[in-house]
Amino acid sequence: MKTGPAIAVKGLTKDFRIGLRGLKLRAVDNVSFEIPRGQVFGLLGPNGCGKSTTLKIILGLVSPTAGEVSILGFPFATTSARSRTGFLPEAPYFHKFLTGRELVAYCARLSGVKSESVNPAVEEALALTAMTEAGDRTIGTYSKGMLQRIGLAQAIVHDPELVILDEPTAGVDPLGSAAIGQMIKAMKAKGKTIVLCSHLLGQVEQVCDRIAIMDRGKLVLEGRVDDVLTRRDQSIITVENLTPEARRAAEEILAQHGARVTSLTHPRRSLDDLFRELVTGSRDA
Amino acid sequence: MPDFMKASLTRISWMTRLTFLEAIRQRFFAFLILLSAALVLSSVSLRFLDFGHGELKFVCDFGFGGMFLFGSVLAVVMSAQLFFAEMDNRTALTLLAKPVSRTEFLVGKFLGVWLVLGVFIFTLSTLLGIILWARCQELTVAAIEVGKAPPELSITGLFSYTGMQWARLGVVAAMILMVASLARTFLFTVIVGSMLVVAGQLQWLAQETLLKPSDLNIFSKLLLTVSTYIIPNLQQFNIGDALTLDHGSVADGAVTLALFSGSCYIVVFLFIGSLMFQRREI
Repeated sequence: MKTGPAIAVKGLTKDFRIGLRGLKLRAVDNVSFEIPRGQVFGLLGPNGCGKSTTLKIILGLVSPTAGEVSILGFPFATTSARSRTGFLPEAPYFHKFLTGRELVAYCARLSGVKSESVNPAVEEALALTAMTEAGDRTIGTYSKGMLQRIGLAQAIVHDPELVILDEPTAGVDPLGSAAIGQMIKAMKAKGKTIVLCSHLLGQVEQVCDRIAIMDRGKLVLEGRVDDVLTRRDQSIITVENLTPEARRAAEEILAQHGARVTSLTHPRRSLDDLFRELVTGSRDA
Repeated sequence: MPDFMKASLTRISWMTRLTFLEAIRQRFFAFLILLSAALVLSSVSLRFLDFGHGELKFVCDFGFGGMFLFGSVLAVVMSAQLFFAEMDNRTALTLLAKPVSRTEFLVGKFLGVWLVLGVFIFTLSTLLGIILWARCQELTVAAIEVGKAPPELSITGLFSYTGMQWARLGVVAAMILMVASLARTFLFTVIVGSMLVVAGQLQWLAQETLLKPSDLNIFSKLLLTVSTYIIPNLQQFNIGDALTLDHGSVADGAVTLALFSGSCYIVVFLFIGSLMFQRREI
């Protein structure tokens, strides 16, 4: 097994040519970041900020104009890299005539799962995504939530080291979203690296170890969730085992103002606030 | 066989299966196969329009015509449709994010389409074979009664012709997939693909013109020469009458040569298509 980060992106730039005159549209602008192994990484940003293009480049579906990408130590877009990666596309569409079980088995075979291991792998993936009972229904009959879950099953059936989820909760009700959140936590517990693109910032805050925020093709922030959300210029004091005298003195002073000391920690702003602050004048407001 | 090659063949075979399953579920396929079967069956009742030719030849021509025409339509439309369905429905996004190379994707698509074309052409051929055999039995009895020579029919020749048509449709399917891997829309692919098929059917004219002494200028000669290499001669596969009713009239090696050149064109078209598909953004 190769060492190093799960994903390393360096100076990634992507220009699209549009119109007959070939005008250049820069979708991704000199983006660099690293995702350590075993972490859940949230890639955030408003629609059209370049998240999906970045993911497509990482998966080798789109070629970059400039920059370097490696996945699990392998050059991106190689079979070695993709066989260790699972991908759930945004608003997934699968062949409607297949049953859920057939689709997952089919994806297992395409991903290199040996024939004798296909059935156990399929059942495990269906169980993890709570799709065992609906597995024999054709995909055309699935609800949006079920489509997302079967999409997740096809992404993890070959037990990849890296799972990339593009809007896994899009169009899913809150219960379904919570269930997907639980699945992400379960995958993290198994040591997987997960890249999550989502607009559900509350969920991202709960499940992610690190986040990156993109706006207009640029990376405007990247770091550990705790670090980026903590206000270092303010403090909350948590006091325990104080001497009675000191405590009394402090409480007396605070009581005069109707307050009580219970903890000392750093105050946090919400991810929603941070997101809105960074992505000013969001085009999709 | 090395492991990587085995893995690649496994992926191609699964792409082929999926394409085949998708294709045979399409109403267009069912419609064309029923229409063609009806045409072949109707040839028996329309044999009084034989224009002075032998009855079996008329039935043969009718059946081969149906196979040729509807097979070509099916090859053009279905190859383009199955390719663009994957792009437009974004199922290609899921498939190509797997360790499936774009060449494997394209070859799997081709083999899936070719398999469907095989089902189409061999179903019709079997139907035509049954009709020809039954009618041949009746005509043989009648000929013996009046002391004439019985009509000649080669069922082996019929299936040789079917194999030739299958190879021709394979060339057409590979050509359409090559165009599709470059084109942006289904309509463009069907129109350009159809034009190439027509050009392929008429390519023998270019060959004949070049062989004859003529006063063509250098530019025209060059254009014709290049076209004879780029565009496959699809007419060389249409030797059904000779194979089925007059086996002796087929030139030695004609079948082998046609199959060999067909195989070469399939490989070249898929190779070019694969090169162009590598650059396509999904």
